[in-house]
Amino acid sequence: MTLNLCVLTPNRIVWDSEVKEIILSTNSGQISILPNHAPIATTVDIDILRIRLNDQWLTMALMGGFARIGNNEITVLVNDAEKGSDIDPQEAQQTLEMAEANLSKAEGKRQTIEANLALRRARTRVEAINMMS
Amino acid sequence: MSCSNLTMWVSSKPSLSDTSSLSFRSCLSPFQLPFSQSSYPATSNSKSSVVHCGLRELRDRIDSVKNTQKITEAMKLVAAAKVRRAQEAVVNGRPFSETLVEVLYNINEQLQTEDIDVPLTSVRPVKKVALVVVTGDRGLCGGFNNAIIKKAVARIEELKDLGVDYTVISVGKKGNSFFVRRPYIPVDKFLEGGSLPTAKEAQAIADDVFSLFVSEEVDKVELLYTKFVSLVKSDPVIHTLLPLSPKGEICDVNGNCVDAAEDEFFRLTTKEGKLTVERDVVRTQTADFSPILQFEQDPVQILDALLPLYLNSQILRALQESLASELAARMSAMSNATDNALELKKTLSMVYNRQRQAKITGEILEIIAGANALV
Repeated sequence: MTLNLCVLTPNRIVWDSEVKEIILSTNSGQISILPNHAPIATTVDIDILRIRLNDQWLTMALMGGFARIGNNEITVLVNDAEKGSDIDPQEAQQTLEMAEANLSKAEGKRQTIEANLALRRARTRVEAINMMS
Repeated sequence: MSCSNLTMWVSSKPSLSDTSSLSFRSCLSPFQLPFSQSSYPATSNSKSSVVHCGLRELRDRIDSVKNTQKITEAMKLVAAAKVRRAQEAVVNGRPFSETLVEVLYNINEQLQTEDIDVPLTSVRPVKKVALVVVTGDRGLCGGFNNAIIKKAVARIEELKDLGVDYTVISVGKKGNSFFVRRPYIPVDKFLEGGSLPTAKEAQAIADDVFSLFVSEEVDKVELLYTKFVSLVKSDPVIHTLLPLSPKGEICDVNGNCVDAAEDEFFRLTTKEGKLTVERDVVRTQTADFSPILQFEQDPVQILDALLPLYLNSQILRALQESLASELAARMSAMSNATDNALELKKTLSMVYNRQRQAKITGEILEIIAGANALV
């Protein structure tokens, strides 16, 4: 049986092809999905997605969303997704530092929420690069 | 005799073209004003210089109108090309929104019986409202920006009358400059639209309204944008963005609900050489969904993850529609301006030719009179 992965963002289709296995970060921890997985619906955290093509692992930074698995079809709906290979390491690192600085400066409930979200996004992108190398 | 005749010609013709330029002033004002003013003192001065000066001035004017026409025509074509790109963006976003609506619909079916409480859907007594006003980044698009700003101001007045507090989130340069000039309107954030709306911009707006709403600073978020109806028609509308209704429906202010499973999208086509727009209403198929689906987390958590996505795609769609309306408005405004410039050019050349003829006739008359006097 083949497993098909489809990663959708509001702008475009990021990934739509066959994979061997994926490791998905959900809100309640990481799950690995192999062919013939039971149909489930799960949330997707702001974290990295690992994809196995034959013997090669790829990473992708996912910016939070939702996944539906069933019938050997994985549909991942996320706000934004970037392949690890498409991220500029320097830029990602800079964004992370800026996000950290913003969080330490944040005042009030609202700013903290915003800064925390930004920091998690930035960290995920950096992790996606580090995971590859 | 010939001289008085000449002044008659000269003074009557520019006034004719002036009245015609008055009506065009709305679209061609920067080019028109200096000329229409300067033609008056020229006619009242010495008669011999009137003709020469008038002729040269007319020639300048014709040239300037010609240039304006070229610019407006180019802008029209650019806008037409961009409308097509805006349409592509909508098409690219379709798989996402379709799947999202499908999933939301099904999960909602399964959750009907359960008592769920999600922060984004909590309906609180409204004390403060956030208005997200989506405007364009550029002018020269007819009444597009004005219409949406007027709508926003009217809504602000309404809220004032109701005694509800409000704050504005302005998206787009035109809206920003409007609110900057009016410091008495509280503005939470200024955002810029960019050339083509992407998920990033939608995300920025979504983050802002999300934190405003969740931290209970505001109790309701309304989105004011221009709905794209057709190439010649677009309506400024108000949509309630938050609280989201868990049924996956969005309601406008009057409580008219739009079923989320019904997705509209527009398509640019050509009909008999003219650009037209088709609007399709697509009923998303919501049948094929495994009934034995398990939820990895609490249904509440899953809705928590889904609704922000839904919020994002709603905002993105509003941005896309607004951009399409702006471009369509610019297209028709520029098409009108081109037509007007053409007409103005025609009138001016007629005046120019008449003046030239009058001048020649005058010179011939002078020569003949001189010759007659010699005899």
